[in-house]
Amino acid sequence: MEKTQRGFAGFVKRNWLVIVSGLFIGAAAVVLSALGNPKNMGFCIACFERDIAGALLFHKAEVVQYFRPEIVGIVIGAMLMAMIRKEWRPQGGSAPFTRFLLGMFVMIGALVFLGCPLRMVIRIGGGDVNALIGLGGFVVGILIGVIPLKLGFSLNRAYKQKTTEGLFFPILLVILFVLSLVTNLFAKTEDATKPGGQQAVWYAALLIALVVGALCQQSRLCMAGGVRDAVMFRDFHLIYGFISIIIAVVIGNLIRNTFSFGMTGQPIAHTDSLYNFLGMALVGWGSVLLGGCPLRQLVLAGEGNSDSAVTVFGFIAGAAVSHNFKLASSANGIGEGPVLPVLIAGFVFLAVLSVFNSKRRA
Amino acid sequence: MTYLATFYTHAAALISHRNLVKNGIDAVMMPVPRAVSSSCGTCVKYRADDPSLSFLDNDKEAVYEITDAGYNELIRYE
Repeated sequence: MEKTQRGFAGFVKRNWLVIVSGLFIGAAAVVLSALGNPKNMGFCIACFERDIAGALLFHKAEVVQYFRPEIVGIVIGAMLMAMIRKEWRPQGGSAPFTRFLLGMFVMIGALVFLGCPLRMVIRIGGGDVNALIGLGGFVVGILIGVIPLKLGFSLNRAYKQKTTEGLFFPILLVILFVLSLVTNLFAKTEDATKPGGQQAVWYAALLIALVVGALCQQSRLCMAGGVRDAVMFRDFHLIYGFISIIIAVVIGNLIRNTFSFGMTGQPIAHTDSLYNFLGMALVGWGSVLLGGCPLRQLVLAGEGNSDSAVTVFGFIAGAAVSHNFKLASSANGIGEGPVLPVLIAGFVFLAVLSVFNSKRRA
Repeated sequence: MTYLATFYTHAAALISHRNLVKNGIDAVMMPVPRAVSSSCGTCVKYRADDPSLSFLDNDKEAVYEITDAGYNELIRYE
């Protein structure tokens, strides 16, 4: 096979973009928390989509309702970068309803843990040991998800679509975001002691997220993809982005004197290790079958992938289900609803999908 | 020559890899290089006298020849 440049120079040449992206995202998370976003939640795709679900009144949890600019910024940043680099391609048609359901269960798992894989990494960088347990569950979930991949799992291919199919999602997001700024149509948590009420100023959040979206489009940063590639191909490229985020967040928290190592008293986190583990295991397994973590789904949706746009709506629906049926955790612990039965239902769904969508059975 | 084939699904890459190896072609599966796509899927890199298209699954996306200058796209399937 062809020559590969070795040594430190080769490492830098192959990985600089994903490392820079990781460092920027980590720093951005700390800056956004300093500007008003919740602690250890400068960025969280699951939490912010949950807040948007609340803003749109898909759920009525008054403490988490806000049309988060960060989600809009990531999608539009990825879209603009993809267009500039001539990589914007409208495509879709790869098992959209299955992806919607996967999105729902991934979100339910994330809200049991209290964070997407990105927030898990940010929580680790803040010293939250509960997030390390979540990481254990996430890795185990991915390891399980890799098995069907090796057996030929597929959601079937996507096909080229009309331009409108790729544009409707980002355009809808922008319209809703503008409406959230100039009207009172949407709900908005005003109490600054609640997670939804802790908000970085919108233009700073939007600007930072635009850069994050652009960087993620170029670097393909993905939490689930990193572990998947490491396990399947011994390729650690994306893992370096993962590690870079943690390094930047640790440094940022040490500078701000907000680093706190331990399990108890962590911001917007609970200490129920079993559910932290199970929640992220569901996220890991589901993300592998989806082909990317929640952050990656936003970026793909920005690139014109309408299957990922449907998945994002699955996340939003999952957030609504989580709060309407009290499945979502809080700092006080897991929800009062049927959390364990729903998690089991999620694992059963993933198992059935893994078995029946493998090539040997198809 | 060394070639690289990208696919619309991971399963297609898996099947193609098996076909290539079964027919005595030196092939490895790997993540798609950023230089050829913004997709984060799986591709197959293989060494053969020609692109060996008949061994590749129907869901192939593109085939590249790998040269010292980089990836030279030979064929693309929509």
